Amino acid sequence: MLASISSAIVQGVDGIAVTVEVHVGDGLPGLTIVGLPDAACREARDRVRAAVLAAGATWPPKRITINLAPSGTRKVGSGLDLAMAVGVLVASGDVEADAAAGIAFLGELGLDGTVRHIPGIVPLVDAVAAVRVGVPVRCAPDAAMVEGPDVIGLATLTEVRKALKKEEPWPDHPVPTRLVAPRPAPDLADVRGQPVARKALEVAAAGGHHLLLVGPPGAGKTMLARRLPGLLPDLEAADAMAATRVHSAAGIDLGGGLVRRPPFRAPHHTATTVALVGGGTASMRPGEISLAHGGVLFLDEMGEFPPTVLDALRQPLEQGEIALSRARFSVRLPARLLLVAAMNPCPCGEAGRPGRCRCTEAALARYRRRLSGPLLDRFDLRVDVDRPDADALLGAEVGESSAAVAERVRAVRALAIDRGVRSNAELHGDALERHASLDRAATDLLRAALATGRLSARGLARVRRVGRTLADLDGHDGPLGVEHLATALALRADLVPVSGLAS
Amino acid sequence: MSTTAPDLVGIGRDDATRACLVALAGLEGIGPATLLACATGEGAVAVWTALVAGRAASVEALARRADRRDGLDLDRLARAARGVDPTEVLARNRADGRRVLVPGDDAYPDRLSSDPAPPAVLFAQGALGALERPTVAVVGTRTASRLGRDLARDLGATLAAHGVGVVSGLASGIDAAAHVGALGPTDPDPAAQPTGRGEHWAAPIGVVASGLDIAYPVGNRLLQRRVGEAGLLVSETPAGHRPSRWRFPARNRIIAALADAVVVVESRSAGGSMLTAAEALERGVPVLAVPGHPTSPVAAGANDLIFDGATPVRSADDVLMAIGVDAAQAPIPGLEGAGRAAAGRVDRPSALLGDPVAQAILEHLDGGPATLGELANRCAASLDEVALALARLEGEGLIATSGGWFERRLPSGAGSRGAGGDRR
Repeated sequence: MLASISSAIVQGVDGIAVTVEVHVGDGLPGLTIVGLPDAACREARDRVRAAVLAAGATWPPKRITINLAPSGTRKVGSGLDLAMAVGVLVASGDVEADAAAGIAFLGELGLDGTVRHIPGIVPLVDAVAAVRVGVPVRCAPDAAMVEGPDVIGLATLTEVRKALKKEEPWPDHPVPTRLVAPRPAPDLADVRGQPVARKALEVAAAGGHHLLLVGPPGAGKTMLARRLPGLLPDLEAADAMAATRVHSAAGIDLGGGLVRRPPFRAPHHTATTVALVGGGTASMRPGEISLAHGGVLFLDEMGEFPPTVLDALRQPLEQGEIALSRARFSVRLPARLLLVAAMNPCPCGEAGRPGRCRCTEAALARYRRRLSGPLLDRFDLRVDVDRPDADALLGAEVGESSAAVAERVRAVRALAIDRGVRSNAELHGDALERHASLDRAATDLLRAALATGRLSARGLARVRRVGRTLADLDGHDGPLGVEHLATALALRADLVPVSGLAS
Repeated sequence: MSTTAPDLVGIGRDDATRACLVALAGLEGIGPATLLACATGEGAVAVWTALVAGRAASVEALARRADRRDGLDLDRLARAARGVDPTEVLARNRADGRRVLVPGDDAYPDRLSSDPAPPAVLFAQGALGALERPTVAVVGTRTASRLGRDLARDLGATLAAHGVGVVSGLASGIDAAAHVGALGPTDPDPAAQPTGRGEHWAAPIGVVASGLDIAYPVGNRLLQRRVGEAGLLVSETPAGHRPSRWRFPARNRIIAALADAVVVVESRSAGGSMLTAAEALERGVPVLAVPGHPTSPVAAGANDLIFDGATPVRSADDVLMAIGVDAAQAPIPGLEGAGRAAAGRVDRPSALLGDPVAQAILEHLDGGPATLGELANRCAASLDEVALALARLEGEGLIATSGGWFERRLPSGAGSRGAGGDRR
């Protein structure tokens, strides 16, 4: 007999509908799986057999062939176990032939028949062609976020079999509540002093400007970066769904909620290119860059990341997505993010303070070489973070809260959308000329900065964009004034000390 | 070694002797004192023959060197020596206009022949006549402050304009700045000959620890070449050798020996410039030091020297007076202000006098470099106000920024801006 059960697999952040065809026929007893299964998928043979027996059914002493269609796509992982088991039950005549019609099954099986959770439930449920979908109980809340099929939470194969045999109704497990409530984002009010870094965070959030924090260890660079997502507005519906799919595909438990708040990802500097960009296995698991979609990617100790890993960041920063191509297929992963990086100004830890830093020329040159110029150029904001003042640490004065800053950020983002861009950082060419024109004094200031070599031609456009954001934050429209451009210049410090001649 | 000048007549002046001296000087482990002992004892040719034949222990100076606690491995030395052809080495050191001088040569600097520790062989490139004028060594730390580098540059320019040759070590920081100043105003095109310098302008003298064909640090290559073209380069390291650590203190003694006075612009309390000052004191060469703020680590060495009796430098006039040059004569028009600028007594432009934030920033920076964050904390002004004041001050040339640090600087004096050929 033949059975045909709907299921799905994940590739990148998208699900692909898969039909699990089970044929039970005469011949030497055994089970063959065809249709490009990978190792984990092929091992389903033993799990499915044990689970079917545990569910109280008899294993048909026949020749069983399972085909995973479309058979040209590689199937990865154990998410098809449940569909195979149901297929075997149907094809062997244990349950009625039409019992599983219109229901898709997703989930891994334990040897005792337990239905275990699988990663990527959101794109999977989105992809299946069915009116109802049976998913592991733990995945049910996330699955329910997807519009379309009705979700049935399943705990064991036994209850599935009973429901298919119509001995019992489909189970209605209580939705597991989230074990940990989402931690509120850390608040900017915790930061004492640091007026420059505070301003830089606000500008970065408001204008979507990538930010480089330079400072000695212990200056609070990580603490500051963690407060950036709290300043960003909620994700728009499309971005929230994209971020949700990415998180789901990466196997992160969403607890039944869309990813509405901008995520914060901080990969360690030992991360590989694949960990950052995604790919690696045939399921093309999304990397940290995609997980930061709509939010903040924080690279602490940027100088310690291997140059190849950093260079892999350039394309996503430019295009807002990553196109990964492999021999058989290619996937597109979302990757629109705000990049925040932190680094020490020099190896000796004296922060390059002139006259105090004792790094040799060679050590500085080595340190500088690690960072590729094109990547450094992407940072509109480069600020120094000093170790905080004792006065500021002990003072009673509490800085502005994240909520107050976020209010201004929202207003500036709205202005950018009126200009036809997502944020001021995306103002280019004509739009930049139109929306970031300069008054006389500002022109003079920039001319002087260009003449002394303090500013490069490429830096000029970036300073104007940041100037636009600063002016927006002050509620100032019209041509940019000298005060905003001077601040924009000050927020774009040289990266590393340029020691050398007295010129 | 005794402090009286050793008998130098024993050093032969024929090419064979020179070749062996140069070959010995290139061997790792043979310092200036051992080389001199070899040259005045058995003679360079005999030492070289013995060394190559494996009889190094029979040479008194080498045996003594091998007995020291950080003893020299004579077998290794012999192996290294066997790979060297003295004739070829001599030829290499005479290429590109370089000269190989030994004591007793007419061209060998008089200042060195009377020295207690003269180089047994000296490599020179350029005009040896530069040493016949009065000379002043301007030395200091490699990691100098902006203000220190500006000061060294202006001091170099003023001294050169008064016909005083500036001696320095061509290291980065103060050394390089002093020579940039001493080279005088130049065209932006580095290939062009220096312009605007009078007959009276004194040529710079560079004393390097590497071979003359090698620049260390590499970043000073252009500067070293220009000093060689405009003035004189000397070294006791044969061509092709990068400087070993011990060559720097040895180089410092030559700087002290070649100068009529040593000025320490900025130095840490245990910096190489302190060694130069000590060598100068041993030779009776006056030591001067530019006083600095007590909190600044780069001023600590210079302040220590002043405490110990060195003459404080308030302006270039103090330096000129120390070597008996009339400060009143300012031979090159337009340079009258250079001495004043070097003293740091610069009036602040009136345009900024009315700006309290700019004043506060300048006052704060007088105490040392600061970041934007520090300035914003200290100056009781908004970030925008501080940023605007900083941009104006930078435009006026009163401050400079590098690596996120803001520093006081001297307004570009003596037109030597842009003379830093290898600005990175």
